[in-house]
Amino acid sequence: MTIRFIDRAADTWQTVPDDALVVPAANLLLTLAQWESVRESWPQHLPVGVRVPNTVDIETLADDLPRFVLVALEFPKWVDGRAYSQAHVLRHRLRYAGELRATGDVVVDMMLQLTRTGFDAVALREGQQQASAERALRFFPAFYQGDVLEPRPLFGRQAA
Amino acid sequence: MYQYTEFDRQFVHARAAQFRDQLERNLAGELSDDDFRPLRLQNGWYIQRHAPMFRIAVPYGEISSRQVRQLAHIGREFDKGFVHFTTRTNAQFNWIPLPRAADAVDALAEVDMHAIQTSGNCIRNITTDVFAGIAPDEIVDPRPYCEILRQWSTLQPEFAFLPRKFKIAVNGAREDRAAIAWHDIGLQLLKDGNGAVGFKVLVGGGMGRTPVIGSVANEFIPWDHILVFIEAIVRVYNRWGRRDNAFKARIKILVKAEGQRYFDEVNAEYAKILESGTAHIIPQAELDRVSASFHLPEKIHPAIGGFDPNRTGAAPVALLRWLDRNVHAHRIEGYRAVTLSLKRPGLPPGDVTSEQLEAAAQMADRYSLGELRVSHEQNLLLPWVREADLVAVWHAAREAGFATPNIGLLTDMIACPGGDLCALANARSIPIAAAITEQFDDLDALLDLGEIDLHISGCMNSCGHHHTGHIGILGVDKDGSEWYQVTVGGSDGTTLSGASTPGKVIGPSFAAEEVPDVVQALVDTYRAQRLSDERFVDTARRIGVAPFRAAADLVRRETAVAA
Repeated sequence: MTIRFIDRAADTWQTVPDDALVVPAANLLLTLAQWESVRESWPQHLPVGVRVPNTVDIETLADDLPRFVLVALEFPKWVDGRAYSQAHVLRHRLRYAGELRATGDVVVDMMLQLTRTGFDAVALREGQQQASAERALRFFPAFYQGDVLEPRPLFGRQAA
Repeated sequence: MYQYTEFDRQFVHARAAQFRDQLERNLAGELSDDDFRPLRLQNGWYIQRHAPMFRIAVPYGEISSRQVRQLAHIGREFDKGFVHFTTRTNAQFNWIPLPRAADAVDALAEVDMHAIQTSGNCIRNITTDVFAGIAPDEIVDPRPYCEILRQWSTLQPEFAFLPRKFKIAVNGAREDRAAIAWHDIGLQLLKDGNGAVGFKVLVGGGMGRTPVIGSVANEFIPWDHILVFIEAIVRVYNRWGRRDNAFKARIKILVKAEGQRYFDEVNAEYAKILESGTAHIIPQAELDRVSASFHLPEKIHPAIGGFDPNRTGAAPVALLRWLDRNVHAHRIEGYRAVTLSLKRPGLPPGDVTSEQLEAAAQMADRYSLGELRVSHEQNLLLPWVREADLVAVWHAAREAGFATPNIGLLTDMIACPGGDLCALANARSIPIAAAITEQFDDLDALLDLGEIDLHISGCMNSCGHHHTGHIGILGVDKDGSEWYQVTVGGSDGTTLSGASTPGKVIGPSFAAEEVPDVVQALVDTYRAQRLSDERFVDTARRIGVAPFRAAADLVRRETAVAA
């Protein structure tokens, strides 16, 4: 189990202020509203990312997913687990293969849930220890139910 | 009983190591108390009035003598020498200092036990009928399905932080002894016309501030699809459930608010998961593997001839009463189940000392193949007692203080720990329970009153299931002092109690000192008004709340009758 830890200072992705005009450029991380305003005119092969609030029905993004290289899901509070369901559906049902980033109030003790529901990048809350997050990934050799990393449940793996 | 595999064993040890890491980071100041809180809750640790409370899972109520001995040991080593059993068949300690929490978790793992998801906004310990696997009216043994559900729900990553707690109950008998309509998900095992096994699925039941009876989500989900259907139910709840107000966050509120739209979405989600190719459809081989732990024990040999307590001379009245109240029918000829009553003067309902736990373990080894059950009514049960051993079991039960012949009667009450121990409570439960136990100590009078479910909760969280009591008592806080709201006519959904329904309030709250007299007034009203064989709850239904309210108002001393 691995996950990439985002160093905010070195992160190449840029957000666009709400009132600014969105001009197509590489590595822009847009809100869904911003993306809606430019999706028709956005160059087909220019990489783009979107920030998705956890109240959005993720399946409504299905048609646009092939155009995204980054989807950033949000945790307004770390105990708000809605983005786990969004992530699971994105990876499992919609076969999204780009970067899936956890943003917002993300703490080290979320690592197992994040990786198992399909996140592969994380921007930790200020003050969190990356070493503790890495350790949190290593406690369990395996789990009962299937997840995004291993879709088969234990009973499916034993039978194989 | 389910036998842990090497995987299961490693898993609970891994969980213990993970918790120790979290605890150490908290004690070292790296992990704040606020951030530690949800983590410790999902490992069973509440911070209570005096010390942390530690809630341990007894999955679907089954526990071995070895595990009971370990609880006795933990009680002695870490606590004050006793344990409390809850309505959700969990075990609770109240006095373990937090720095020793990880050691206590390790002690559980040593005997294949854990405290995973016994609290927090996640899928909780799964409960079932205390007579599962031994009930004469059983349709399908629910325990293998409970175990499969336990494994599936344990550290399910997507559903670790739901809007609110989530409780599942499974019933496999004709009689619903698991109060399934009162759970977030209630599952009733059935066989269709061809003998195929499946589940009737109820969703959105719950107690708390707003008591709601579960709605039927599906009349028959094939057994092998049950994990998939539950996944759909919980995923839609995770997406749509309210998170802005903890009092509106249970699935019952969502189901009420959305109605058919919620069920349509669940059905659509169910269909999508089934299309995915990775749906968790349970293979027959897995059901067989888990079921092997629950086959009829080899040592069970049906005996014929019946049981006559008078065979060796006239049986004492106390034995006959115990046989009548505490001994239950069994599906195997020559066997009975025996309740060890945890309802007696001197100890709160559901409490057991470490010495008593050891006595119970010894009785289980001697008379019940080393197996016990924890019941929803907060008693212990020996599931495999030979009729030939009943008299010996009675003597052992008397010696250990388990033989109060009051099962199903007024003093076999359900009560939460209340304000003496619980930080959530508005009022104390234990002194109320003690006062009622003392007032109703005459067994003849109790027997004359017949079956009465008396349920006491110290606050709206309803851990004492006051809504479902024939008589319900709820602690409320007004201006910083303790008051008690009393209801009549509630039902948990058993045949005796009638269709599931919350009780009706009989007027303004009472003072603590008034409560035993209120209960007396209620049962006196019943005695005066009952028809020949009528039970309390039937009389209450027939005559309504008014006569009970009038009688209760007459015993008010400190509280005023509402205008």
